[in-house]
Amino acid sequence: MKRALEVIIDLKEKGLIKDYAIGGAIGALRWTEPFFTYDLDIFVILQEEVVLDLSPIYEYLEKKGYSWQGQWIVIEGIPVDFVPVDEIGREAVEKAVEVDFEGLKVRVIVPEYLIALFLKAGRDKDMRKIEMLLPKADQQKLVNVLNKYGLTKDFEERFGHHEKR
Amino acid sequence: MRKDDGLQIIMGKRKMTREEFFKEKENLRELRSQMSFEEKIKALVRLQEIALRWGNKKDVIVWKL
Repeated sequence: MKRALEVIIDLKEKGLIKDYAIGGAIGALRWTEPFFTYDLDIFVILQEEVVLDLSPIYEYLEKKGYSWQGQWIVIEGIPVDFVPVDEIGREAVEKAVEVDFEGLKVRVIVPEYLIALFLKAGRDKDMRKIEMLLPKADQQKLVNVLNKYGLTKDFEERFGHHEKR
Repeated sequence: MRKDDGLQIIMGKRKMTREEFFKEKENLRELRSQMSFEEKIKALVRLQEIALRWGNKKDVIVWKL
């Protein structure tokens, strides 16, 4: 895991991405109890955002000897998915926090943005992660993020009024 | 008061109400959420091993730590 994270940090140092943060299930797992997942989702801000082209990243990784297994590129034994950010994803990456992993500083998306991103994704398994993350979220920050991205109604329909939780 | 509120759950030498039982589960969940990131990843890898060997999830890649 540490080696895979070093490779991802290297992508930023090499200028292949502007910034990154761990999101998805592993981002959530940082804040909740451990649960099962398949892969590591890395949210990336690309250098050039006119076209969301991930091929320079994959070409670089393939040259380094990493190969595809099914839908994932496997970096040092870890199946990784690179997710190019949209507007909310960009803010989530920008506001990510540094977390220590075996002496390595890695960036992880905070609960309020993870909740908003899972809500947008909208699958049943995403809703379960939201339930786990809600006690870890700052309520006011969550309200602000949901309002800013027009997600409040969707949230309240699924989870009730946040302040009553 | 619900009919089952006073029921006791017995686990070996321990005896507790349903309310205490679920409160303890919640406390353990909170404790697990405070594990280090590294420990959580180790726990995940154990879950992946279980999913691969006994869960019939043949597409699982067990992560290298």
